[in-house]
Amino acid sequence: MALIPQPDLADVQVIGIPRGLLYYRYGPLWETFFAELGRTVVVSDDTDRAIVDAGTLVSVDEVCLASKAYMGHVDSLTGRCDAVFVPCYASCDPRAGFCTKFQSVTDMVANTFRDRGVRVISCLVENVSKPKEVRQAYLDLARRLGAGPAQAKHAWKAAMHALEADQRAKAAAQDETLRLLAEYRQVTASDPTGSHERPLAILLVAHPYIAHDEYLCGTIVESLESMGVTVLFADETNHARSYKASFDFTDTLPWVINRELIGSILLLQDKVDGIVLVSAFPCGPDSMTDDAIMRYIQGTPILNLMIDAQSGTAGVETRIESFVDILRYHQKGGYVHG
Amino acid sequence: MADILTLPQEARSRIAVELEKHREPKMPTHRKKYKRDRHKRVKLAFFRYCYYDPAFKFFAEQVLDVDYLTLPEATRRTTEIGEQNSTDYVCTPFKHILGDYVEALEAGADILVQFGGPCRLGYYGELQEAILRDMGYQFDMLNFSRGIEEGAIGWTKQCLKLVNPDINIPHAVRQLAATANMAVKLDEARDFYLANAGFERERGAFKRAWASYEDALRAATCDRDINEAFRAAMDAMRAIPLDKPADPVRIGVVGEMFTAIDERSNLNLDEKLMGMGVEVHRMMNLTNRYVRYNEPNLRRGAADYLTYDMGPTSTLTVVAARKYAQEGFDGVVHAKSAGCTPEIDCMPVLQQVSADFSMPILYLTYDSQTSDTGLDTRLEAFYDMLSMKKEKTK
Repeated sequence: MALIPQPDLADVQVIGIPRGLLYYRYGPLWETFFAELGRTVVVSDDTDRAIVDAGTLVSVDEVCLASKAYMGHVDSLTGRCDAVFVPCYASCDPRAGFCTKFQSVTDMVANTFRDRGVRVISCLVENVSKPKEVRQAYLDLARRLGAGPAQAKHAWKAAMHALEADQRAKAAAQDETLRLLAEYRQVTASDPTGSHERPLAILLVAHPYIAHDEYLCGTIVESLESMGVTVLFADETNHARSYKASFDFTDTLPWVINRELIGSILLLQDKVDGIVLVSAFPCGPDSMTDDAIMRYIQGTPILNLMIDAQSGTAGVETRIESFVDILRYHQKGGYVHG
Repeated sequence: MADILTLPQEARSRIAVELEKHREPKMPTHRKKYKRDRHKRVKLAFFRYCYYDPAFKFFAEQVLDVDYLTLPEATRRTTEIGEQNSTDYVCTPFKHILGDYVEALEAGADILVQFGGPCRLGYYGELQEAILRDMGYQFDMLNFSRGIEEGAIGWTKQCLKLVNPDINIPHAVRQLAATANMAVKLDEARDFYLANAGFERERGAFKRAWASYEDALRAATCDRDINEAFRAAMDAMRAIPLDKPADPVRIGVVGEMFTAIDERSNLNLDEKLMGMGVEVHRMMNLTNRYVRYNEPNLRRGAADYLTYDMGPTSTLTVVAARKYAQEGFDGVVHAKSAGCTPEIDCMPVLQQVSADFSMPILYLTYDSQTSDTGLDTRLEAFYDMLSMKKEKTK
């Protein structure tokens, strides 16, 4: 039994949350949780060039782009809050862990910003597949922030509701898009004049902190959409279903996010025309799963894009254009009958 | 040295257009793909890893009761094969190990062994199996990433199912303890070797002693043989005459499990340092990482820097660096493979340790292109700096 946590963080009133990494997965949870505890939450602004540059400046050269952006977000929060919330998500479940980045990020931030007096508050979530442990970690954090047991439980409940509602809404929206796509496909298929262009759907497979970051991945999504392509995000598929599906693909993959992405590919592969994998250079888990996906997912054309801090948007646009051209040509029967 | 920081142009995008589903979207599992001859002895091969080959051999022969295939020294070709068949930015040990496996299979191995771990290592086995099968090789893989949910029981099931159904379990458990003892004895002797081999009066004396120690361990069949070999080796090494100054330059090597120890991956870092007359210390080894690993207690030793466990080897890296700093070492070398996330994330912490104790740290990143001469230059410069600093403070 651990000691009852003491309210050593009770004086923290304004909590800063960097808009990066797991914020894109657990954002609603964190925001609601701290708001319910009566704290003011400051989420850093959307990523932009300045933030990435500031992050690159304080980071070791070799870390991945997402990590640099995260450091930039922490940097932008200095002076705007009493403490920055950087949770530690460890990987005790060998099949539902995280990249070690999420485990080390707390101490990385603490050490990088040590001399600038940035206060870091954190909690240790050792195993996301055990909801009770996750709950306990957040309840302890609430107690440290000075909340009573009842208030802590209430905050956790509200936060979980917010997170689940958010995930449900996204999954439902995706299902709706898929349904409309199927309907529209039928319409165009039965249309003898061929005046309607057949819809083209692409599954964008990337870690949520890449896929939904306007600066890092916005160009890719925009250029796809400007070509009339419907973009589906693999990380929005129902997490439980996609996680389960991933075991049909791989036994030993240790990362939960990659599992959900691969599961989503398996579930949606036949409903989309193409798959775009986007990785931030040099992403550890993706360096291996991209290879596995390219080897074993067949029947759907795959474009694997790597983005780094230097890459211009021009290169990405041409690559996407040519990929969409391939898909359209194939749709017209080019590769099958030609 | 190749530029590992920038993304090569050809890696920016890849397209795969495979419109037919030629195979199931499923990575290979270990179901028997081909039938082995029942009367043939099974040959098992590990990858090349540091000086632990005798321990692997002991494990194969005494615990699993199968033949062990000892691989010859790695060559340039090993790395090239590994490099050609893996993706560009996977970590370097993956490439080295893949090369080893190809050579092992060419030499007649039936079963390959891979370990599991909490970082990318946990996925090595399955992906390497997929790559090797795509290359056309037939084999089984004893992958300790499988069965990890059940722990020791899962692994035992794996061994029985895949390697040898007739393992005598009580005997195997005893011999497994002996394997751990061998790793401990190897590490203990290695620590002595690293601290003293740089000062031998007769060049090559320590290397000879070490070679005969390894030979003795390769011939060992039980715990007693191991202990005897260890005693004999320590006696032999202690008897080697030394020219050791009272206050030699001392360097601690920290870093990631594979690169910090494995001579082939770190281009003989130990020997290079010892060749300059340095007392080398290295906390990272199998003993400290597995046999005697207690992460929470270890972390207390660096509580000023670490709140949580930062990764598989991070605690050991930071604690070791801090310990060396406190003990007044002249410098620390941090060795890691390119793209090793846990060790890269340690670097901001190490920078703080370095600043607090004003102890220089040399950060080395190895990939399969790292040049030997480039490393020499950097190590020499580092050594010169340390010895000058030492002179000044005298």
